[in-house]
Amino acid sequence: MSRLIDIGLEQLSKLLFKMGELAEKTVSLSLDSYMEGLEVHEKVRIWSETLVALSEQVEEKAIELIARYQPVASDLRTIESYMKIAYDLSRYGRYAWDITFIHRRLDVSSTDCIFPSLPIKELNEKVKNIVQTSIEAVRRNDVGLAKKIGEIENEVDIVYYECLDKLVEQDRITTKCLITNLLFIRHLERIADHASYIGESIIYLVTGERISLRGRMLNES
Amino acid sequence: MSYKIEIEDLNAWFGNNHVLTDINMKIRENAVTAIIGPSGCGKTTLIRCLNRMHELVPGARISGRVLLDGQDVYGNGVDPVTVRRRIGMVFQKPNPFPMMSVYDNVAAGLKLNGMKDKRRLDETVEKSLELAILWDEVKKELDKSGASLSGGQQQRLCIARALAVEPEVILMDEPCSALDPTATAKIEKLIRMLGKDYTVIIVTHNMQQAARVADFTAFLYLGELVEYGDTSSVFQNPRNKLTENYITGKFG
Repeated sequence: MSRLIDIGLEQLSKLLFKMGELAEKTVSLSLDSYMEGLEVHEKVRIWSETLVALSEQVEEKAIELIARYQPVASDLRTIESYMKIAYDLSRYGRYAWDITFIHRRLDVSSTDCIFPSLPIKELNEKVKNIVQTSIEAVRRNDVGLAKKIGEIENEVDIVYYECLDKLVEQDRITTKCLITNLLFIRHLERIADHASYIGESIIYLVTGERISLRGRMLNES
Repeated sequence: MSYKIEIEDLNAWFGNNHVLTDINMKIRENAVTAIIGPSGCGKTTLIRCLNRMHELVPGARISGRVLLDGQDVYGNGVDPVTVRRRIGMVFQKPNPFPMMSVYDNVAAGLKLNGMKDKRRLDETVEKSLELAILWDEVKKELDKSGASLSGGQQQRLCIARALAVEPEVILMDEPCSALDPTATAKIEKLIRMLGKDYTVIIVTHNMQQAARVADFTAFLYLGELVEYGDTSSVFQNPRNKLTENYITGKFG
């Protein structure tokens, strides 16, 4: 016999999976469009705002479940983790939106600022990969995938710093292009950070262990 | 933090019914320890073994040791009455002596122990009622019958009665199960306060109550100690699947 709280937990996971799908779509569209210089600002804005609204629904539902059932153990860990993950997914949307805003604000085409020597495409692919992995980890409650996020995050950091170094080395770069690139890679790096938070939440949800997936590269060096 | 009670290889029976199996448990001094578990798992029997009340039931027996400050309460020559004075008990249903006044309910144990000095009696009764957070509510009606108080007040009167003889350990067997939420909240606050100066062991069906009041929680199932640890770990991240299933309501 299922418990009363199970109905609420089911609703919560449905909401989260819906957010996951939308977040993945939003990041993907934003990143691809940046690389191709396409205008998707309005569409991404609407999706990002939808993610925020869904995140608020997750929070409301979670608080309701806490108030009604005083959950403990894995139930409590699930609710806490889902609240955090919902926030992280909404941040995916927000950074995706910010990326579509860069060239509008600076009045420059992003494609004009992509230099062959800059490993920005690689960073872009890795961030799309980490986002997909994080959403799959949520869907499957998979600790293995969650740990893989930590590995990809290290790779993202390496390419991010490489991009920074290359940007500093660029002699002939306009201020607008410098800022465009800086903002873009910075937003990508932040998206990867949120993917790590999601991985940490999944590990906590499943095992009860609180571990950090972030900054391993910095600690190890 | 040191251990007040150490339970070693404790087994208990009612006739042929083996109700506790090989319990080993160290109980911290000046802390609240909760014992949770489904009905019939041996919670009440366990605490009744600690102050030798289990043996009062015909056909009941135990094996193993219960050390109070390192001394076995079942050792040769140990007087069970002395043990019960050092380890007081509060029961599920408030049970003030119905024919006695509030004052006499608290003073009864002291008088039995031979205290006759009226001033000392007065002081101890007041102090015990204050400790039980009842003094302000009854100080003008000390002659009133204990049975005329509300359920919550009666339970605090019973706690005051237990405290009056200055026990070192207080056992509480479902102390709030007959009380409404307001009275329960008062008793829970009291339990937490008492846990600073006394070793409190509480048996409860109500897991949220254990989570609210206890520093440590033990989960008992079918007479065995399944898990024992600090309350936040047990309720956030239990090590044993049985504990997880019980506290999340998947069985029990």
